[in-house]
Amino acid sequence: MKKLNLISAPVGIALGLMAFPAIAMEGNIFYGLQLEQFEYRYGDEGEKSAVWDGDAFAGTDELKLRWQSNGEQDLREDSFETLENRLVLQTPISDFFDAKAGVRLDTPTGQDRWYGTVGIAGLAPQWFEVDADLFVSETGDGSARLDIEFEGLLTNHLILTPSLETDIAFSDDREIGIGQGVSKVELGLRLSYDLIDRAVSPYIGVAHERKLGKTADFARDEDEDRDATYVVIGMRLMY
Amino acid sequence: MKIETAAGMLLAALAVAVLSLPAMAKPYELTVDYVEIDTGDTKTTGIGYNGSSPGPTLRFREGEEAEITVTNNLDETTSIHWHGQILPYQMDGVPGISFPGIAPGETFTYRFPVRQNGTYWFHSHSGFQEPDGAYGSIIIEPEKREPFRFDREYVVVLKDKHPHSGARIMRNLKMMPDYYNRQQRTLGTLMDDVAKDGLSATLSDRKDWGNMRMTPTDIEDVQGFTGLINGMSPEQNWTGLFKPDERVRLRFINASAMTYFDVRIPGLEMTVVQADGNNVQPVTVDEFRIAVAETYDVIVQPKEDRAYAIMAESMGRSGYAFASLAPREGMRAEMPEPRTDGPLLTMADMGMSHDNMPGMDHGAMDMTSQPEMAGMDHSNMPGMDHSAMNMGAKPADPFYASGSGLIPKAVNGGKFLSYADLKAQKPRYPERPAMREIELRLTGNMERYVWSINGIKYEDADPIRLQYGERVRFTFINETMMAHPMHLHGMWSMLDNGNGKWNPVKHTINVNPGTTVSFETEVDEPGEWAFHCHLSYHMASGMFRKVIVEGGPETALNTNANGN
Amino acid sequence: MPSFKSYLAKILTVAALSGGTVLVSPITAHADAGHNSVVHGANIGKLGNISDVRKTVEIVMQDNFYEPEKVVVLGGETVRFVIRNEGEFVHEFNIGTVAMHATHQKEMAMMVEHGALEADKINMHMMEMDMGNGMTMKHDDPNSVLLEPGKTAEIIWTFPENAELEFACNVPGHYESGMMGQVKFQ
Repeated sequence: MKKLNLISAPVGIALGLMAFPAIAMEGNIFYGLQLEQFEYRYGDEGEKSAVWDGDAFAGTDELKLRWQSNGEQDLREDSFETLENRLVLQTPISDFFDAKAGVRLDTPTGQDRWYGTVGIAGLAPQWFEVDADLFVSETGDGSARLDIEFEGLLTNHLILTPSLETDIAFSDDREIGIGQGVSKVELGLRLSYDLIDRAVSPYIGVAHERKLGKTADFARDEDEDRDATYVVIGMRLMY
Repeated sequence: MKIETAAGMLLAALAVAVLSLPAMAKPYELTVDYVEIDTGDTKTTGIGYNGSSPGPTLRFREGEEAEITVTNNLDETTSIHWHGQILPYQMDGVPGISFPGIAPGETFTYRFPVRQNGTYWFHSHSGFQEPDGAYGSIIIEPEKREPFRFDREYVVVLKDKHPHSGARIMRNLKMMPDYYNRQQRTLGTLMDDVAKDGLSATLSDRKDWGNMRMTPTDIEDVQGFTGLINGMSPEQNWTGLFKPDERVRLRFINASAMTYFDVRIPGLEMTVVQADGNNVQPVTVDEFRIAVAETYDVIVQPKEDRAYAIMAESMGRSGYAFASLAPREGMRAEMPEPRTDGPLLTMADMGMSHDNMPGMDHGAMDMTSQPEMAGMDHSNMPGMDHSAMNMGAKPADPFYASGSGLIPKAVNGGKFLSYADLKAQKPRYPERPAMREIELRLTGNMERYVWSINGIKYEDADPIRLQYGERVRFTFINETMMAHPMHLHGMWSMLDNGNGKWNPVKHTINVNPGTTVSFETEVDEPGEWAFHCHLSYHMASGMFRKVIVEGGPETALNTNANGN
Repeated sequence: MPSFKSYLAKILTVAALSGGTVLVSPITAHADAGHNSVVHGANIGKLGNISDVRKTVEIVMQDNFYEPEKVVVLGGETVRFVIRNEGEFVHEFNIGTVAMHATHQKEMAMMVEHGALEADKINMHMMEMDMGNGMTMKHDDPNSVLLEPGKTAEIIWTFPENAELEFACNVPGHYESGMMGQVKFQ
């Protein structure tokens, strides 16, 4: 219940902004909602989880408020492996890149964390969609995340999307099981089909997660999995 | 405030009516309504006039006083712009520039002298009402005999009717600029190109485009439409009747939001006699391309007792409109197979052309990336230099970048109309040199779906100030990879196509990617006017300017109307 | 079909008497002028003698139409046409069949393409250029006259007993947009 409130707060703010277009300069206000990943994962060791990764935005060409949310719910234990919400302001800094800054709140099962965050998001040459973020947590630990995605058009409706997400910690945060160094890598390959224009695109794919270095050691100490491979089935949604 | 202004205008209009000598035209009453638009495939709620979309054809006679009463039955503000009409600026129908707009439930009476003749159209200038169906046609009969003859006439209004509302389309484009582009290059085209051009050439080509983060398929932003002719889909088959040997005048109007059409009537030559409502020296063609908001009048003479197809394929080949000309009701022409050879933009369209053909090579300027075009070579203007081009068999159309992927070809290998072919039948103004030149770079960012002029969007831009009585030369430098139909309200645009005193008189000037195009304007209408790209979603995302004409007989601009 | 040279001869005549009236008479016409001009098997009549003229018809060329647009003749009648170009463009007055006009239109399109004919003037020096593309014409054209703006010309024409004839301007685009008229036999 507490978590629901935490999620709904940013939505409320976003909706509030939309309801008062007068706040924002002269430009038109646009909004959008996208769930890049909304999937069921079945792991090689029988893991079953639900995963989402999406964002909603409202704003002008010059300034957008964006709410990013992702999480992984272990369906067997009914616990949240990860649960992140970010609220950032985003503004263009070049033809193809935006800068963003804001806050992030992690509320998985277990220890919560607040972060301050800055980052960039945009389109790199050769059509790589790139998100690069820096975080500083309430405990003073720094970390970074790089997220790269490529949409390969097999046809104009059938799209193969490889993705890579890497977390790097600049210091240990034992409490949440993070060790200094490259802490986590997630590789994905999803094959989607645009069923209802770009609004509904079901997909299947595979994902592989691996904890690395000290983080992996911490996981072993806690008797947790250090890596897992999943078959995923889901739907990309856009509105 | 709004009501007062409207009432004031109404009173003023009434006063003019009482005092003025010109004959009153039959007054028109238009209601702006939510209507159902049925294309056979989709039924959507749109906006129309007098209960239908498209709205009616309004007929006037040159020299009359037009009176059109518009009642807004929508729950949002509306407006009507009389596209191509030369009229007092308060009657031009652009909310925030000409007037405050027509509030829900209100009635506004437009009244203006009709000082021209030809084929025109009207549409809402509010929000996305025009893409949603708020458009209609205007026929103005001339005072004098026209320089051509016809036995019957039809308006042929083209429209790219989309199942999504305009507002939704705009939002989707902002969220994802290629939302509607289903003609992108894929693995399949990659393999085809490797087979055709070899692996290294293909990869190098992909790398070049990838580095620019642009795609050669950005020709039609909004695909997935149904092409309509007079409100009817290909399946619904609008039919114009004729008797064999009759001369039929077809008044083509492209009322589309985003789509250029290539128009042909297999088996018939078309003699173009009018462009944008102004007579041109007749030129006989097999096919022509009509930019958004343009009009072309053609005369055809079907001689056989059979149905002829009017085929209008979109420039990017993502859709088409179709209708029939038939000797009897209930006949349907055989529809030609739509062309599937969708064009691809080339580096020339990016302004990257490096060869020395005349035309519009801005490559050098792009390299130095100077914001001002000091080094621009005006001898490269279209139509200025054909000598070097006559080396080949047929000169390339100078209104496309040399090597452009958009250069059209007639299906039958025959004549495709070029802007260079348009010559005014009777010049509207004496020839005189322009007093100054205003350069406007057409700019944009496809990834952000932001469109602008000189890199500045409308809301951030100062108005363009013109002096009453001057002749101004506007030069567009298209730095984007899309064609833009640029429309100046209130005053004529004399396209410089190298025909001197016969430069054609237009209201909408198409500027192809990678090209430079100039037109001149006699600044003879005081007031405040809109000036914009007529692609609905380019206009809405910033490719727009206000033009203020200072001085002149009616200097008393309403200062209250200035704030927008 | 007329050759460029025959056009040239006529145009030179028109130009020489600039502003005045040109009489297309046997003096300037060619050898076969006294015979019926037969094109594509159609008998369109022949150049007439002034002594046979029973009727004069004034034709005014405008941009781009004729006044009048219909001429009524009797079979075998000899008519004097006085043709005045009051427009601002070059126009032609040509008596022939629909098929003949269609052929002439192609030729005149070529003249325009080669710069010999502009909208409002005829370029004499371009006319003299050797086209060098093997264009041979088998007859000349006493049945037509090409006039710059402001010029006047005459054609005396003896019509056949009956025929499907039109008078037309074959300057590109003009015929197609309606610059033609019907010859009606009574």
